[in-house]
Amino acid sequence: MRSKTNRNTIFFITTLLFYYLLFSHGCGKNLPEDRPSGIKSVPLLNQDSSIVDFPDDFKGKILLITFIYTNCPDICPMTTHNMQLMQTQLKKDNINYVRFAELSFDPVRDAPHILKEFGDIRNIDYKNFTFLTGKEQEIKNILNKMNILAIPGDTTKIKNGSVVYFYTHTDRITLIDKEGKIRNEYRGSKTNIEKIINDIKTLGD
Amino acid sequence: MLLLLSLLTLLNSFSPKVKIENVWVRPAAKGMNSALYFNLNNVTTKADALYKVNSKVSKLVQLHATVTKDDGTTSMKEIKQIAVPANSIIKFEPGGYHVMLINLKKKLKVNSKIEFIFYFRTGGKVKIKATVRSEKSN
Repeated sequence: MRSKTNRNTIFFITTLLFYYLLFSHGCGKNLPEDRPSGIKSVPLLNQDSSIVDFPDDFKGKILLITFIYTNCPDICPMTTHNMQLMQTQLKKDNINYVRFAELSFDPVRDAPHILKEFGDIRNIDYKNFTFLTGKEQEIKNILNKMNILAIPGDTTKIKNGSVVYFYTHTDRITLIDKEGKIRNEYRGSKTNIEKIINDIKTLGD
Repeated sequence: MLLLLSLLTLLNSFSPKVKIENVWVRPAAKGMNSALYFNLNNVTTKADALYKVNSKVSKLVQLHATVTKDDGTTSMKEIKQIAVPANSIIKFEPGGYHVMLINLKKKLKVNSKIEFIFYFRTGGKVKIKATVRSEKSN
């Protein structure tokens, strides 16, 4: 009689443990972050000049977002390439609940058509990949909330006297879950794509 | 005198130089910036230094290095020259040294070829053609 009770207890505990592991993994509880972005939704413009309410329009989907400027010759194209590689991999894996966004922190120069050129030259598939720009102050607020630094500097003059400037900026990709919470942050230009994809899968559909 | 100068020029063209290998340029739109990447392979027994690269493709060409700080921010700085010690390979690669092409005069389309002239302290001028291509896989 006692042996049967013990067996039942062990079965009960094992079942509980199984479900705990299953659900804690599926909900991404093992991801390092779980904090609301605190961003009040604002209208931004995408590469086609259409309005995108950020971040509200991405709620209900997992979002990978990075921060770029199109005059960047080195780091931002590397990050964009990594985003593109992940988009391709997730497409192969039939995962369609992820959105990709690149927000320009240089809205003065990065008008929608400039973002479109930047994307077109890289054959970006815009199906679930969006470039965003907007009003300077609103972008600054988003950057502050997401702890992204972008400071213009490293100025160079070209022969016709015009000034070219570059940015010191945070090199980051941020993973946001369906509820709009920040779940993980990664280096953008040199990153472990497999790790990010695993984190996305951990968050699940 | 003229004969001597011609002879010296001829000798210089046959002398071993730093090899410029794995050359490629990142695609970019007209008016934007891009970067040229390559390896400098100094197979000679003499140290050399790259101090300038020229091209008609952009309004300005500079030697640059991307610097990443501990706080995760990146920036670029211009460098005046890059030493290439004897029997060494110096890599110009994404996220590190690169030749910056500032304010492109034309769109850099994939598979197009761009001419560059490299200037070395010891090896002199070297002309090369670079192909525009996308990034390699991560």
